[in-house]
Amino acid sequence: MQPPPDISQYKELARRYGLGSTPESVSRLTALVARQDADVDEIVRVVEKDPGLSARLLRVANPHADNEDEYTVGTVEAALLRNGIGCALLLAMGTPLSLALIKTFQTMLSMKLEAVDTHQLDSLTGPHMRGSIGFVGKVAGHVYLRMSLQSAKTVAAGILGITPEEVGGTDEVSDVIGELSNIMTGNFKSNLCDAGLDCKLQPPKVGLSENYSTPIEPGGGIERLAFRAGEIHVFVEVTANPWNE
Amino acid sequence: MATKILSVDDSRTIRLIVGKAFKPYDCTMVEASNGEEGLAVAAREKPDLIILDVTMPVMDGVTMLTKLKEDAALKAIPVIMLTAESGRENVLQIARLGVRDYLVKPFKEDQLIEKAGRCVTLVKRAAAPVAPAA
Repeated sequence: MQPPPDISQYKELARRYGLGSTPESVSRLTALVARQDADVDEIVRVVEKDPGLSARLLRVANPHADNEDEYTVGTVEAALLRNGIGCALLLAMGTPLSLALIKTFQTMLSMKLEAVDTHQLDSLTGPHMRGSIGFVGKVAGHVYLRMSLQSAKTVAAGILGITPEEVGGTDEVSDVIGELSNIMTGNFKSNLCDAGLDCKLQPPKVGLSENYSTPIEPGGGIERLAFRAGEIHVFVEVTANPWNE
Repeated sequence: MATKILSVDDSRTIRLIVGKAFKPYDCTMVEASNGEEGLAVAAREKPDLIILDVTMPVMDGVTMLTKLKEDAALKAIPVIMLTAESGRENVLQIARLGVRDYLVKPFKEDQLIEKAGRCVTLVKRAAAPVAPAA
């Protein structure tokens, strides 16, 4: 069967422009969740085929466990039944977001950022830089990016090609953190829109924060991600209420 | 004559990176932080190439591109979109409006230069003369 004209045309443009693509399992999962009437068994099959997605789903379903031995929810199906299909959407959003953040560090900082379990990193204490971007539409939520002021300065310096001492005030750091938030969020927004979950991004809000609480949309969920590159620790939270309309 | 390049992005960081990428070349950089400003600068400066973001306050990149292509004096200026959004609808809409190329953030400066080099002539700046030894 021939793909619809728009999809063929997009594939041709993506090839011409050299655009990257979202992993197949993530696109399929997003499309299934977007349908709302998707069968749990279908979702289970897609998640089980991707070890990364399965591991993250089980982590989300066992929020108090420090390691796999402490999991009380042990299968993908049980995790989906316990947390609801909405949490599959958070998984689908987290993957392009993580890939974009890792790629940004690699491309713009020549730095290898590694995704780690949130338990493996010490929590931030005191004032830290927080970037947030809201998205509204058929799915609504926020993405938060947090790092210490020192880490944010190092990242800003790397991206701007200067030394941390040459970085100006908080405004310069804020602009870099805002752009990082934009890049991460833009990548996963594309995946959501392609699956029919149209949404628009709001401008990033960045500033020093001492607030560690993350508001969750009514009826929504949260996924927490953590990354490390040497002394730089990056925390990301995604909150979303699927099927917002 | 130097190649004039207009960078339209609400992020100062991106405008700085774009400016840095073209620094080794004989280029004059002009900037705008949203589509409305971008149109005004394009009309005033008549750049040879526009590097355009999509999501911006005041006027987004798609609206600016639409208006640019409606303006007989500006429509021939090649535009490269530089955005984090590569969703199907976005790419199709932008391609239909008539964009020369598309680069997804994060990007390497080399990628931008390669794409820009397909639209305009980029000439390396002459190396600064070395002072003779005393």
